[in-house]
Amino acid sequence: MDPHELTRILFQDFPSWEVSFFYLVGFAAIGSFIYGVYREVRKYLRGVPDARVVWDYAHIKQGMIAIATHRTLVRRDPYAGIAHRAIFYGFGVLFIGTSIITLEYDITNRLFGLKYWYGDFYLWFKLAMNIAGVSLVGGLIYMMVRRGWIKPPKLDYARPDRAPDAPDYDRSNYRIEDWLFLWILVIIGVSGFVLSGARMIWLADRPEVWDIRWWSPVGALFAYALRALGLNAEGAVILRQLIWWSHGALALTLISLIPYTKAKHIFTAIVSLVVRDPLPAQRLPKVPEGQEQIGYRFLTDMSWKQLLHLDACTKCGRCHEACPARTTGGPLSPRDVILSLRELANSALEYSAVPEQSKLAMHGTGVGQVSSETLWACRTCMACVEICPVAVEHVPIIVQMRRALVEEGDMDPLLQKTLQTIHKSGNSFGESRRKRGGWAKVLPFPVKDARKEPVDVLWFVGDYASFDPRNQKVSQAFARLMHAAGIDFGILYDGESNAGNDIRRVGEEGLYEHLAESNISAMQSADFNRVVTTDPHSFNTIKNEYPDFGGQFEIEHYTSFVMNLIEEGCLTVKKQLGHRVTFHDPCHLGRFNKGYDAPRKLLEAIGCELVEMKRCKDNSFCCGAGGGRIWVPDPVGSEKPAQNRMREAATIEGLEVYVVSCPKDLTMFEDALKTTGYEGKFVVRELLEMLEEALEINLVEAEVTA
Amino acid sequence: MKILIAIKQAIALDEDFEIRADGRDIEEDFFLPDLNEWDEYSLEEAMLIKERHVDTSVEVVCVTIAPDSADEALRKCLAKGADRAIRVWDDAMEGSDPVAIARALAAVAKKEAPDLFFAGVQSSDHAHGATGIAVAGFLGWAHSAVVARLDYAPGAKEAVLKRELEGGLSQELRVPCPAVLTIQLGINKPRYASLRGMKLAAAKPIETLESSDIGLSTNDCGETGSLSRVRRMYVPEKQRAQILAGDIAAQAKALAAIIREATGG
Repeated sequence: MDPHELTRILFQDFPSWEVSFFYLVGFAAIGSFIYGVYREVRKYLRGVPDARVVWDYAHIKQGMIAIATHRTLVRRDPYAGIAHRAIFYGFGVLFIGTSIITLEYDITNRLFGLKYWYGDFYLWFKLAMNIAGVSLVGGLIYMMVRRGWIKPPKLDYARPDRAPDAPDYDRSNYRIEDWLFLWILVIIGVSGFVLSGARMIWLADRPEVWDIRWWSPVGALFAYALRALGLNAEGAVILRQLIWWSHGALALTLISLIPYTKAKHIFTAIVSLVVRDPLPAQRLPKVPEGQEQIGYRFLTDMSWKQLLHLDACTKCGRCHEACPARTTGGPLSPRDVILSLRELANSALEYSAVPEQSKLAMHGTGVGQVSSETLWACRTCMACVEICPVAVEHVPIIVQMRRALVEEGDMDPLLQKTLQTIHKSGNSFGESRRKRGGWAKVLPFPVKDARKEPVDVLWFVGDYASFDPRNQKVSQAFARLMHAAGIDFGILYDGESNAGNDIRRVGEEGLYEHLAESNISAMQSADFNRVVTTDPHSFNTIKNEYPDFGGQFEIEHYTSFVMNLIEEGCLTVKKQLGHRVTFHDPCHLGRFNKGYDAPRKLLEAIGCELVEMKRCKDNSFCCGAGGGRIWVPDPVGSEKPAQNRMREAATIEGLEVYVVSCPKDLTMFEDALKTTGYEGKFVVRELLEMLEEALEINLVEAEVTA
Repeated sequence: MKILIAIKQAIALDEDFEIRADGRDIEEDFFLPDLNEWDEYSLEEAMLIKERHVDTSVEVVCVTIAPDSADEALRKCLAKGADRAIRVWDDAMEGSDPVAIARALAAVAKKEAPDLFFAGVQSSDHAHGATGIAVAGFLGWAHSAVVARLDYAPGAKEAVLKRELEGGLSQELRVPCPAVLTIQLGINKPRYASLRGMKLAAAKPIETLESSDIGLSTNDCGETGSLSRVRRMYVPEKQRAQILAGDIAAQAKALAAIIREATGG
């Protein structure tokens, strides 16, 4: 057989008006697509430039890897991830296939008389299209089963931030869109196979069609099935014509609708992943020099990238599920913040002119607006940002909106009081500055004043570790541990102020700048080689944010610092504790700075049996203290995040110790242990205190002082 | 219309403070200065009048009689929305008591000619509770102290206000304007002045005047212009209490011994 005969004749037996009509529809679809893309791009460009966006090889590469591997999509929802991968690759291959045909028919053949879509290439092409079709339809069917029968709660679109009678509470339009999108795709996929089968019956007498039928195995199966249902060659001609048009019309409809529907995530998600910020919540945006108004009030205050984020969201609900505020009944779902703002942007920024400011206002309780209760419910734990498969960065948007609230003074009176206290005394306890180093006085050795003499290690103590009586004990333990290891260390005494991490996350940027500048200048006038801290909050801001203010310091959290001391032999484990423990990853150490391993290694080194909670490491559940929420009481009667966490820990059989490695965690969880009634069942302990016991530091100390 | 507000940079004390060498005040190192708490409320009350009547122009002017260390308190007021800030000081004013301060404030009021003059009921450090009412005395204006609610529309000939009295009583009265009112805590919810707001307010000017600029002579100022003078400041000795044990006779004997010891007999 002549290999040139092995091909598919396009528009076979079509009258010319039908072909012309098809082209007309095709161009209309492309026109609609292009206009829609223009409209969306215009919408995004109504945001301000984003100085943090970098278009370089590394960013593009990591984005492309994320997309190709679906790494972000399989997390915590592996089946949905696999199904999406099947749809993505199926759709991708089918799209490339169609493009290959178009390229030959409309370009290379028309212009140069060049043909390539025949013979062996054609056969392998058919097989590939069949596999891709199966992959697409299979993935779609799973998604339908998931939406229709499995019904995971995160997909029910229930809003915690609106009363059911609010005009934008109802999300049924989203549901209709979801189903329509699935059905259109599934029909396109299945009709492709039916079309292939019908063509085989219609042209069954031609060996160049029938003899190669098994190169399109699914098409062939459809042919046999249609035949069994009584379809003959004459019927097949009619069926083919019907299906050809519906398949084509649907495919073109889909293309024309992409920029107007959730299908736009095909593009927005790709860009979002490419321009993702490696430190979205860890390093919050600095206010540009000379900018007077700070924070977000109007949609046009957002950056183009953030406006694009709003459209990248596919409502998958992973953030909704991970959010500690939402989990404990707070009026916040990160997903709904994004969707509200998206709805607002779509109603305000998609038209030829930007409307008056009142239509762009982001704050409020109106349709598409975000209320202050919602914004203040956030604990900036970053669980939402971390799990978002399309790299939506919720936390910077929330903090920017809070900055505007702070300027307006729209905040809890207690929080306002705390901010004033911190401004006045440099710490949230309202204690005298002079007492900051008071905890060190009870030690049997002097703790050096790093402002007065050079030290190897500068210990940045932080507020809770300095002033909270329970945490002072932990600070003393760490001092004894460093002393025993022979570390030359010192502290800044009253030269140190609150590091500002949580103040920045509250949105009091001016106070943060003040604190950061004061600490940086105190640190820069001291002579030291590196910094250590027991406080993950201070750790985060000094490591990631102080550089933006001119403070470059090498800083370590005590967990990795002590692990190194043990590995280097400066400290020896003398006693195996043998407890059955679980470990709580502090947000600012774990999720923020990927410090998952050191504390676990330490627990192993001191002979503890670690049983992980279901929500651990990147999915660790916030204690509720972040984002300044430690200064704002939770509503009476509702479950606190820390209590929710205690209940989770309590499900571990035979748990003895709930291990923490953050001063705020110690405070929050010791309290929650009492209020949940698990006191006596297990204890909350700071890892440092366990280390002191296992390293028998107290005994060493006795020898030193004796 | 114009509202003039007397404000004060009040001082809170750090723990373990020390008395100044001359024994008449606290060593400055232990000062934790901040805007007097009552003044936050009087400023807020003025701001509310300004904001509730956007159609009429209401000028809110803050004035303090203090050295430049009080600029920070004025900036806080500017950050919260005050239109102007005036600070009057020269060396001759050192040692002024509330009456001397009030004389200076009254002189500023004559110059500014406000429709209302607000002061806090008292200051959180010295707590004389005298300054505002003394200003009314110097000006000969109507006045009312410890105002807990105020109804006033710009341009009105009088202000309607509520005072809270002891024993759960309230008093409602009308005061003809211009008037001096001292404002009580709780009359409103003072707004937050963000640090950025304060930094931006640093760019706004503070009008600085000397006593001569407001028509005062050196005799009107400082200790010579004052009716009182601080003799000494001290921490009172801690009182002791003890329970006397034993029967009546033994208790009486012990008591007599204590009296003898205390009287030096």
